[in-house]
Amino acid sequence: MGALLELAGVSVRFAGLQVLTSVDLSARGGQILALIGPNGAGKTTLFNAISGHVGIASGAIALNGAAIHGLTPHEIAARGVRRTFQNGGLFAELTALENVLAGLHARIDGGFAGILFGTRAARAAEREAVSRGRGLLELLGVSHLADRQVGTLSGGQQRTIEIVRAVAADAPLLLLDEPAVGLAPPVRTQLIELIRRLAGEMGIAVLLIEHAVDLVMAAADVIAVFNGGIKIAEGPPAAIRSDPAVLEAYLGHV
Amino acid sequence: MRAYAIPLLALAIPLVANPYTQFVVNLMLVYVLVAVGFNLVLGNLGQLAFANTALFGIGAYCAAMLMVHAGWPFWAVILPAGLAGAAAGFLASVTALRGIRVYYLAIVTLAFGELLRWSYIHGERATGGTDGLAVPRADFFGFALDSETATFYVFLLIVSVMVKAVSNLLRSKIGRAIVAIRDNELVTASLAIPTGRYIVLAFTLSGFVVGVAGSLFAVLIGRVNPESFGLTELILHFAMVLVGGLGSLFGSVLGAVALTALPEFFRRFPGLYEMFFGGLLIVFLLVQPRGLSALAARWWPALRDRYYRED
Repeated sequence: MGALLELAGVSVRFAGLQVLTSVDLSARGGQILALIGPNGAGKTTLFNAISGHVGIASGAIALNGAAIHGLTPHEIAARGVRRTFQNGGLFAELTALENVLAGLHARIDGGFAGILFGTRAARAAEREAVSRGRGLLELLGVSHLADRQVGTLSGGQQRTIEIVRAVAADAPLLLLDEPAVGLAPPVRTQLIELIRRLAGEMGIAVLLIEHAVDLVMAAADVIAVFNGGIKIAEGPPAAIRSDPAVLEAYLGHV
Repeated sequence: MRAYAIPLLALAIPLVANPYTQFVVNLMLVYVLVAVGFNLVLGNLGQLAFANTALFGIGAYCAAMLMVHAGWPFWAVILPAGLAGAAAGFLASVTALRGIRVYYLAIVTLAFGELLRWSYIHGERATGGTDGLAVPRADFFGFALDSETATFYVFLLIVSVMVKAVSNLLRSKIGRAIVAIRDNELVTASLAIPTGRYIVLAFTLSGFVVGVAGSLFAVLIGRVNPESFGLTELILHFAMVLVGGLGSLFGSVLGAVALTALPEFFRRFPGLYEMFFGGLLIVFLLVQPRGLSALAARWWPALRDRYYRED
């Protein structure tokens, strides 16, 4: 089986500054691929390149064998790529349920006229989405937050709601940008379990940017290490832990 | 109590109103559409566009010109007035889409309104110049709007249907997408929502609603002239949305009713109105920036705006 996501020789430049240099990367369904590296290594830029929020200077990005680079962010999302953001990824004035419903947007049938006149079909489609949204919140253990405005939720609750929203439409590829930052240890353990469930039970390919080495070692199937916009190593956690180039560049002198 | 109780209760107003108060109530209905339409762009989409009086004027002039020059009956000019407003709203959205944001959009749309006023004044053949056009008596599918009461029932029907339609839109995936764009356009796009299309939709829809309001205004006042669509009018529209509560449909209805009634009340105290109006705006901006709707929702939580429906 071919890879779900395939990056070949991807480079990104900002006004002459080389941010990513010829990155090759691939991910399969059910796999958790962690991207680690110091600040400024280009990890978030790689996410932005995949999701279409920044353009690539050269190389190719393919999803299920079809090129997605050059498409707009919403077109790429429509092909099955969802992501979370480092901060402020939720719509703070909406409730958790409304946020999840926004994630389901493209899955809700009902044309403009049907919605305008409140036809039976449009109302049924909306009702179905609401019950799917509530079901997802329940499945991931946060149904009690459904009608809370997300701006009033704790950091861990917000991260969880953002992940629920990202997986709501059954996207096969999920990009998580530092989901555990600022979370208390027990909440982090729950988050790792949640991410493992997404990859295990739902078969989602998860790309995970994370600074916390313990979390990465516990969650990831494969780790790719970045430094200065270059992928310097890739392999299973045990191999990365002892890779001399990684120790040198990222984990520091041991 | 369900929302449709409001127009049903309103049916009884002519029983207690004299022709003058009935006229004021009719004017409230016109402004309900004005505020509801403006709020779509200003409140829900969160774009500082000031084309609202221009859209209002386009609707009013379109209706008046078709009635005066082409002899069309009132019922036949409502849709064209809405479509003319929608076309202008669409144009305004193009400037918003091109990345012209916040202050620039405000200035461009303000200038657009003044340009239109200039063309009303100088397009004398079509618009009657500074004198404007006298609008002939209206009829609605054979039902003559020959009294304020008759006008009221026709207006109430049109306004109720349109407010309900806007409410349906807001409490659907369309309303959620529009509010999501206000909150964070990049994040919205990452959820497979075509943001550009929804920005155009919100502006166009707003133009339609306000354009229809213009046609009602033309027949209610019986005359259109350039002075009705200037900066003072724009401040009034802005105040209605703001006092009602940015982004709240119910708030816009409240704001329109309150600020239409206010000048009539202050007629007894000449000179005080401007002071009170200015003071009111400042108080709301500083003390109650979320408007009357947020105040009302505190007592009656069911009034909180929701962007989904389960019924």
